[in-house]
Amino acid sequence: MAVSFDRARLGRLKDSVAVVGVGETDYAKDYRGTGGQAVGKGEARYDSYTLASRALKRALDDAGLKKDDIDGLCASGTLSGERASELWGLNPRWSGGGDAAQCIIEATLAIDAGLCTTVALVYGNAQRSMDTAYGGARVTGGTITSYFYYAPWGMTSQGALYALFFQRHKLLYGTTEEQLGAVAVAFRRHACLNDNAVMQKPLTIQDYLGAPYIAEPLRLYDYCLINDGGVAIIVRRADMARDLKHRPIMVSGFGWSEENVDATQLRPRLKTFYHGAHHEVAAQVYPMAGVTPRDVDVFATYDSFSVHLLASLEGFGFCKEGEAGPFVQGGRIEIGGDLPCNTSGGMLSESYMQSWNHQPELVRQLRGGLGQRQVEGAEVAQYVHDVAGKCKSLIYTKGA
Amino acid sequence: MGTARPVRAMDPYAEQFWAFTRERELRLQQCSACGKFRWPPGPTCDRCLSDDFAWSALSGVATVLSWTTFRRGYFPEYPPPHTVVALELAEGPLFISYPIGLEPHELREGMTLQVQWADASDRFGEYNLPVFGPPAARC
Repeated sequence: MAVSFDRARLGRLKDSVAVVGVGETDYAKDYRGTGGQAVGKGEARYDSYTLASRALKRALDDAGLKKDDIDGLCASGTLSGERASELWGLNPRWSGGGDAAQCIIEATLAIDAGLCTTVALVYGNAQRSMDTAYGGARVTGGTITSYFYYAPWGMTSQGALYALFFQRHKLLYGTTEEQLGAVAVAFRRHACLNDNAVMQKPLTIQDYLGAPYIAEPLRLYDYCLINDGGVAIIVRRADMARDLKHRPIMVSGFGWSEENVDATQLRPRLKTFYHGAHHEVAAQVYPMAGVTPRDVDVFATYDSFSVHLLASLEGFGFCKEGEAGPFVQGGRIEIGGDLPCNTSGGMLSESYMQSWNHQPELVRQLRGGLGQRQVEGAEVAQYVHDVAGKCKSLIYTKGA
Repeated sequence: MGTARPVRAMDPYAEQFWAFTRERELRLQQCSACGKFRWPPGPTCDRCLSDDFAWSALSGVATVLSWTTFRRGYFPEYPPPHTVVALELAEGPLFISYPIGLEPHELREGMTLQVQWADASDRFGEYNLPVFGPPAARC
């Protein structure tokens, strides 16, 4: 494919928009039921809008803004834009949706174009209490064909697709299950430093290896949680982002590339581990932000499965292709290591907010003051989004 | 009645693919303009956008790329353990199936397998499912 992105035009958008507020629901309390509020699987007593509304209110409070300051809205997850706007009494001048990275990129473009100045990006998902299925006979459609196309052969679930991916990585590079286990162990260690993380019990590599396989070679702890929650992020034109409650966190770089050719066949998944999209996105995001992988102080990747981290570390040049197995061992990806990854616990151990919980964590790391969980001297934070080859990345930096 | 299988994703092109399996024929659309085989079935060639195609018979030969064994049950039709294999067909496309006539621990990267047929049915009707096993085990 031709290199068609325009580095000069992208570069002008560097630091044009800042994150000024973040809000999340009480993942841990809602899951465990402090105060008798626990809602079990299939026992919905609230919906995605309940959770999204709570998160929005918290993000506005965090920013020190009022809802009438909002002139753009991205309603995401299971939310309808019309219903969400109606619920919150908003008539947006611009609206969008999608995953967190997509929403932040698109909101930046809308703000730069002059359509709006202050965008609320809001996600809500009552997936546990609504008993949402991500595999099996209830998954019969959707936008990603490989998730349901091979059901006649007994193939189903995103986890099994990533099991094929990891098995291929094992076959080609000799990556071991113990190496992969270092990912789940590290993210759980981070979750244990985060009061809002659903999973708070320490996990050892022995615990990991002793857990049952789900789709072999992936085990229980390679899989993300299924829990309820909401996240909201307020982004604002940079010149309007000063003098609010917190130091603005700048959106300094972004990139976007999707590897959809032969996606249902799993060709990019199994032949190149989606590195084609990773390389395209890396060529955009790093030059735009004016940094290299060596400058990244804190890193987060979409982690519906532990395997995602191996793919993004190799694809974005943190290590050579095939070397992510040894790379993630020995504490390198833990807080205190060279490249702390998914410092909130990620979707494996904090909350499965489908890319949304990673953004508040990176913002908090750059704001500072997280105590034991703080990555010392964090100046540059990167998020990598890769869901079945639909790849985006964001680089955040500390604003003045 | 063929063995019950989880339901197929159906559209006019998939319908034709599955119709051939009733005669135990493995055929994929091949672009008449540029020759590319495509899978899953669909209206146009992703390489050249031509909508002219023929249903070309395949050799049925494939090599193993990867596999996974379900240790948890997802479909009543496939109680665990159930192993699924990712293959590269000799004609180019990758293909998901399940192995037959060998144990999961006997699978090897790059090993050659040959199509065989398993009887099948779902709410769209009777068909045969292309599955893959060692060439010697072909019946």
